[in-house]
Amino acid sequence: MSESLPPRSRGSIGLLEANCTSCMLCARECPDWCIYIDSHKETVPPPAAGGRAKVVHVLDRFAIDFALCMYCGICIEVCPFDALFWSPEFDYASSDVLGLTHERPQLRATMATVRSDL
Amino acid sequence: MTAEALYAVARDATPDASVDGSFETITIDIPAESWVAVAVALRDDATTSCRFFDWLSAYDAVERGLAVVARLWSVERRHGAVIRTHVPRSDGVVGSLTGVFAGAAWHERETFEMFGIGFDGHPDLRPLLLPEGFEGNPLRKEFVLASRVAKAWPGAKEPGESDADLAGAPPRRRRARPPGVPDSGTWGVG
Amino acid sequence: MTSMSQRPVVLGLADITAAEPSRFVIEYGGEYALSLFNLGLACCAVEVVAAAARQDSPAVQSVAPAEVMVVSGTVTDKMAPAIRRAYDQLAEPKYVISFGSCSNCGGPYWDSYCVTKGVDQLIPVDVYVPGCPPRPEALLDGLRQLTSMRLTEGVGPG
Repeated sequence: MSESLPPRSRGSIGLLEANCTSCMLCARECPDWCIYIDSHKETVPPPAAGGRAKVVHVLDRFAIDFALCMYCGICIEVCPFDALFWSPEFDYASSDVLGLTHERPQLRATMATVRSDL
Repeated sequence: MTAEALYAVARDATPDASVDGSFETITIDIPAESWVAVAVALRDDATTSCRFFDWLSAYDAVERGLAVVARLWSVERRHGAVIRTHVPRSDGVVGSLTGVFAGAAWHERETFEMFGIGFDGHPDLRPLLLPEGFEGNPLRKEFVLASRVAKAWPGAKEPGESDADLAGAPPRRRRARPPGVPDSGTWGVG
Repeated sequence: MTSMSQRPVVLGLADITAAEPSRFVIEYGGEYALSLFNLGLACCAVEVVAAAARQDSPAVQSVAPAEVMVVSGTVTDKMAPAIRRAYDQLAEPKYVISFGSCSNCGGPYWDSYCVTKGVDQLIPVDVYVPGCPPRPEALLDGLRQLTSMRLTEGVGPG
C-alpha cells in the first residue's frame, strides 16, 4: 500500500535510536508538546589507560503522541543528528486514544517503513 | 497621492489625526471620540469614497491600552486606509460603526467579547463566538491559556534528566519556560 | 454478512437540509455495508468527503439511518452541545469514529481557550484515526478497524 504513496508523505514518524543523543530539541520545539523524552547520564570509562572518562546521555523514554501531533515536521527539521524521519505509513488507527502514543518499540518499527528514495 | 487624500479627509474630520505608513497601508491614528466621524468622512468624501467595510478588530497594545483597528476600502478608487484608535484597558468605549456600515455589527460583537471594549450605539452587543458562561477576554495579553499551565512542558527537562529527577529535589537553576506560561505562583493570584 | 435494516429516522425540519449519509462497502472477511454520517467541522471534513467520493458503491436511495458518525474537525466549546445532540439522535446501533487530531484530543488547538480537547469528552468514540488531516485512505483503515472490532465479534454498540 505504501509503495503507491509519494515517498515524502507525512504519515508517521520513525526514530533512529542510534542517532538520538537526548538533546531535547525536538521536545522543546514541538508546538503541541507531544514528544516525551526521559534520559539519564552515564559515565563511560576511558577507552585507554590514562584517558578521560566521559559522560554520555542515555535515552530511556522517547514517545510521540500522535493524537496530538499535527505533522508539522518541526521535530524532524530541528533534530541536529537526523534521528527522526518521516514515514508514509498511515494505517495506525486505534480504538484507544492512548494507543496513539507511540513508544520506542513502535517508533523503531516505523523506521522500517521510512522510504529511502526521497 | 491617494494616501494624502485619505489623510486629508481624516484630518478634516478631526485635527488630531496622525499617520503611520507601515506595511504599505496607510494607518491613520485618531482619538477615540472621532472614531465614527472619521469613518463617515472617509466613506462620504468624493475623493476617498471608502464605501467597503473590510474588517474591524483590536489588539492589545500593552502600554498604550487596547488598539481598535478598522480597515475601510474604496472599490472604485482601489485605495483604502486602516483607522486606529486606542482605548483604556478597563471600560474602554468607542462609537459603534453599525450606523455607518451595517456589516460592522458582528465584527464589533467579536471585538467586544475578545477584548472587553464597549461599542456605544451597537444595537445588540452580546458575545458572538464564545460559549455562554465564558469568563474573561481571551485575546488580551494577560489572559492565560490554562492548558499550557496545567500540562507539564516536555521540554523542561535538560538532556540527561527524567521525570523522576524533576519530581525530586527542587531545581537548582531557573528552568526554561515555554511562551505563554506565567511564573508559578503568579497566575490566579490577585 | 451483515444486512442493513431500514429504520427511518425523523429529524424534523432537518430532513430537508440534512446531508445524505455516504454508503461505504468495506471488505473484511465478507462485505459490510456501512452508512456514514460525516459530522464535518473543519478541514478534516474535506478528507472524509474525498474518501466518500472515491467509493464505487452504487447510488442508493438512502433512508437507512447513519450507523457510523465520523467527527472530523475541531470541536469548539460552542459547538459541543450540537454534537451531543447529533449523537443522541442517531439510531442504534451507532458507532463513532474520531477523525483527525482535533477531534482526537484537541490537536494543534490543545491550548485554546474555546476548544474541547477531543470529542471523546462528549460522546463515546470507537476508533481514533490519527492525522492532521488523515489521508482519505486512513478513513478506510479506520472503518476496517471498526468492522473488525464491532461487527465481526458481535459486540454491542460502542
